[in-house]
Amino acid sequence: MRIPLSWLAEYVDLSGIAPTDVAARLTFSGTEVEGIETIGASCPGVVAADVRAIAKHPNADRLRLVRVFDGTAEMEVVCGASNFEAGARVALARLGVTLPNGLTIAATKIRGVSSSAMLCAADELGVSDDHSGLLLLPPDTAPGTPLAEVLGLPETVLVVEVTPNRPDCLSLIGIARELAALCGRNVRRPELEFAAAGAPIGERVRVSVEDPARCPRYTARLLDGARSAPSPLWMQRRLRAAGVRPISNLVDVTNYVMLECGQPLHAFDLRMLKESRIVVRRAAAGESLRTLDATAHALTPEMLVIADGAHPVALAGIMGGAESGIADDTTTVLIESACFEPTGIRATVKAVGLASESSYRFERGVDIGNCEWASRRAAQLMAQLSGATVAPGVLDCYPVPPAPRPVAMRWERAQALLGIPLESREMMAIFKALELPVAGATDAGCTVAVPSFRVDLEQEVDLIEEVARVHGLDKIPAPAPVARLVPGADDRPSRSREQLRARLAGLGLDEAMNYSFVSERLLGLCQVGDPATRVKLPNPISADHTILRDSLLPQMIETLGRNKARQVTAAALFEIGRVFSRGTGGVYQEEERLAIGLLGPVGRGGIVSRAPVTAEEVFGALKGVVEAIWSAQRLPVREIAGMRRPAVDWIGCDGPLFEAGQALTILLDGQPVGRLGVVSRAVRAEWRMTEPIAVLEMAVAPLLAHALDVPAARPLPAYPPVARDLAFVVADAVRHEDVVATLLQAAPKELVDIRLFDVFRGDAIGAGRKSMAYALTYRAAHKTLTDEETNRMHESVMQAVSKGLHAEIRAG
Amino acid sequence: MNVQELMAVQTQALAEVADAGAPAELEAVRVRYLGRKGQLQTIMESLKSALPADRPALGRAVNELKQSLTAALEARKAVLDAAADAGKTSAWDATLPGSWRRVGSIHPVSQVIAEAIRIFARLGFTVADGPDIEDEYHNFDALNTPAHHPSRDTQDTFWLEGRRLLRTQTSPVQIRVMESQPPPVRIIAPGRCYRRDTADATHGANFHQIEGLYVDRTVSMADLKGDITYFAREMMGADINVRFRPHFFPFTEPSVEYDFSCHVCHGTGCRVCKQSGWIEISGCGMVNPKVFRRVGYDPETVTGYAFGMGVERIAMIKYGIEDIRLLYDNDARWLEALA
Repeated sequence: MRIPLSWLAEYVDLSGIAPTDVAARLTFSGTEVEGIETIGASCPGVVAADVRAIAKHPNADRLRLVRVFDGTAEMEVVCGASNFEAGARVALARLGVTLPNGLTIAATKIRGVSSSAMLCAADELGVSDDHSGLLLLPPDTAPGTPLAEVLGLPETVLVVEVTPNRPDCLSLIGIARELAALCGRNVRRPELEFAAAGAPIGERVRVSVEDPARCPRYTARLLDGARSAPSPLWMQRRLRAAGVRPISNLVDVTNYVMLECGQPLHAFDLRMLKESRIVVRRAAAGESLRTLDATAHALTPEMLVIADGAHPVALAGIMGGAESGIADDTTTVLIESACFEPTGIRATVKAVGLASESSYRFERGVDIGNCEWASRRAAQLMAQLSGATVAPGVLDCYPVPPAPRPVAMRWERAQALLGIPLESREMMAIFKALELPVAGATDAGCTVAVPSFRVDLEQEVDLIEEVARVHGLDKIPAPAPVARLVPGADDRPSRSREQLRARLAGLGLDEAMNYSFVSERLLGLCQVGDPATRVKLPNPISADHTILRDSLLPQMIETLGRNKARQVTAAALFEIGRVFSRGTGGVYQEEERLAIGLLGPVGRGGIVSRAPVTAEEVFGALKGVVEAIWSAQRLPVREIAGMRRPAVDWIGCDGPLFEAGQALTILLDGQPVGRLGVVSRAVRAEWRMTEPIAVLEMAVAPLLAHALDVPAARPLPAYPPVARDLAFVVADAVRHEDVVATLLQAAPKELVDIRLFDVFRGDAIGAGRKSMAYALTYRAAHKTLTDEETNRMHESVMQAVSKGLHAEIRAG
Repeated sequence: MNVQELMAVQTQALAEVADAGAPAELEAVRVRYLGRKGQLQTIMESLKSALPADRPALGRAVNELKQSLTAALEARKAVLDAAADAGKTSAWDATLPGSWRRVGSIHPVSQVIAEAIRIFARLGFTVADGPDIEDEYHNFDALNTPAHHPSRDTQDTFWLEGRRLLRTQTSPVQIRVMESQPPPVRIIAPGRCYRRDTADATHGANFHQIEGLYVDRTVSMADLKGDITYFAREMMGADINVRFRPHFFPFTEPSVEYDFSCHVCHGTGCRVCKQSGWIEISGCGMVNPKVFRRVGYDPETVTGYAFGMGVERIAMIKYGIEDIRLLYDNDARWLEALA
């Protein structure tokens, strides 16, 4: 809402308070001032001038020579505008004046005629953006009066954001009431005095409200003999400053009074109301209405309308009909000032897709007690501006005026909740200043009879809030915090998750973050997850974001692809996020997952060679990360033959996302918890990636379950180890895991470590075969192994490998 | 062999050590005297035939000989090594890049969440969690959101089937926690939220919030101000000020918005704070008694405060990120630079 300060000053004396202070007081009491605007400049050197005579320009059809008197002298000015005649009062910029738009007036010749001043349009003066003709000043303006004085420039406007609970502040008087309370001043309301004459309204118009629940109050007032004309400049100026376009005196008054007191009004031309009747009713099925904005609406019985004796003439509380409104020849005006119930207004606004300043206020709650006052105020102004005569009386359908709502507040409660020892007398003073009548006060507390303009005050804390915001939040202390422990609180889950992130980063991975939404296309491309259990958004915001992700992999691959497209040659990323699906019976499910993606030679340190990254290399790097995280997060280990190894099983993983044979499923206790692999060529092609990339996705829960377990310290071995190498040639199909399994099966308890240190393929070995070399460590628990003992053990291990894997042993 | 002879051997041996001009020569000296078949070994053997009365003195002299010779050998070796190293250059380049892998970075959103958890943990807050897919009751009804509040519109909220929705705020976690336990409550709840905002420099359809809730017998607005101020200074710097403005939220009463003083210009006005000197952070307030009644708490016996904050917003301020979309762009170069 826009609050012109000069207009506001009609209702509260703000003298001695700078606009920035006014803004600050509002902001720090809950009505945020979002901006302070200045409209127009003071325009020194621009004065009102009297048009004495107009002549044609000798050399130009569209220009005129205007003889003006500026209060001291007459002069001739060349002018291109034609919206005025002799006798008009116009704005004249004298020689040497610089206008707000930067133009400096200099003596000049226009088509051979000299001109030493300029007559100005509104936009040239910064008053509005109107350039349709000269700015016309009131005809009674004395020539020579400075323009700033005539127009009240510059005007300062506060742009305020009114919270939805405070519809009373959607008006100048509402804002004035706040400022009066905050600054210790009084609210001034306009005096309403006007003469009424002729037949009373009750004899000429009938009003019936058929749905008092939706329209708890309806008032109507009548004026005769109105003449439509532009509003006086002061009213136009105020409306413009408040952001409302002036139209004509009668229409302008309805807007003016709404801005002044918050009551939306509508003016009907009585001629257009059949049977001179107003019926507030539900629309009948099949009825329609063309509103003032010239759009036609099909009406339904859920909608409340204002009808005449035959048809709807207005969409109640939202907008009037095009036919029944004020026209240039309107003389008899019916002023509607009513109160409509918010929910119905909101539903109709949504249904017809039409909102207005009026509906905005009704949706939030209009002061039902103020309808009649607003009607009188509008009648007074219309009579004053249009020469109309007010018909005696008012029709006021107000079956159940609400009683003031009593709300009690305890002093002690207010003091405790705010944390300040405010005295009861200070709190009472705040209520009084806010025009909240205190119905009764005791040592324990008071009761406020909440007036109808404060729809937001319902319970004790609402009153405490009034005390807090008027007293000032800055007066509440901000003491040093006191730590309080809640018994039984468990911070381990969050610590485990933090530890996981820290360890992944410690391994050299950067954390990425993607949206929870993915496109159908990306999912289709990667073919992960199950289309049948996906969560589709019924109202997505864009085609790229239609589905809640059921896997982190598509976005991880896309991320690597995007990096590659930007010539990023290496990326090691991880993401922790939730995925979504529908379980049995359509139940929504979510699960936290970890994804990792590797692109480029991320495992090579120091001198990074240009050698192409192989699938084996990138996959090996990723598997290394998994194994490191597995032990770092203390996932279960198996102790076999004295060796502690991750209790993880790897099985082959098929699917279109991965290269055949280059992916593994991770099994924990026989259950799949994740998978990793080299992304298939077909998927990579989407981002023109020729080099292999590897990705992993696994459930986060197992990574957190044991993260904070305390490992038991193990004694250092008392006896020295004995090292033996084992090298052999086997068929290519024999996997490392097969070798380990064979070793473990054959191993004596003294075999305590197995390390692969070489794999070699080549001509010397022969096609389809490879050489593998392992470093084995033997150690006995209670003595030093002799060479002979070790050799015996190693011999049996070699035999097992030889037999079990059809290996050809190369060296001992 | 007597002590004089031993002294002579020692003199001879030390002289030979001093004369050794190369490591190989020095090694030969060592072997000659201290080797397995060296002269000292021979002397030790001969001690067996010495008179018992002479043996202790001879033994001491042999030990002394052995010690002084060992020390001399080591000293001479150091001298020879140093001479050999002088002027010599390494065969490899010590300025080559190190080969250990770099440490990665944690995403700014995660960093801010972790930092907030750490700060509030000091005050005794623990982390609570809730689902991203919420029901209407926890996201709106229980938080006293009016039935026709615009935030419930399909325009603003991602609705799913069966009145389920993607939570628009982390506040439903407040409700879930209070439903599951009696007071006192002291939790913070970080998490992802969703609103149908068109993406621009400061908005995204998903974002993160941190919710805080403290319920006890006598929680006051002064406690709220004190704790938020403490948080601001821990998070943004010791010289940060906080200001509180009355506002409106359905689930708190009184409701307050809070701003941090600009950490860049310290209040004088700059581009970051749009010349205001203040940066709007989020909302907080005293828990509305209507919310307490919904979860079965008695508003006559407990009071509480709640606050929320936008994680991306704090991350952007703290890290100097101008466009929120950068946080979800995942350019490896950008992420690496945050390590």
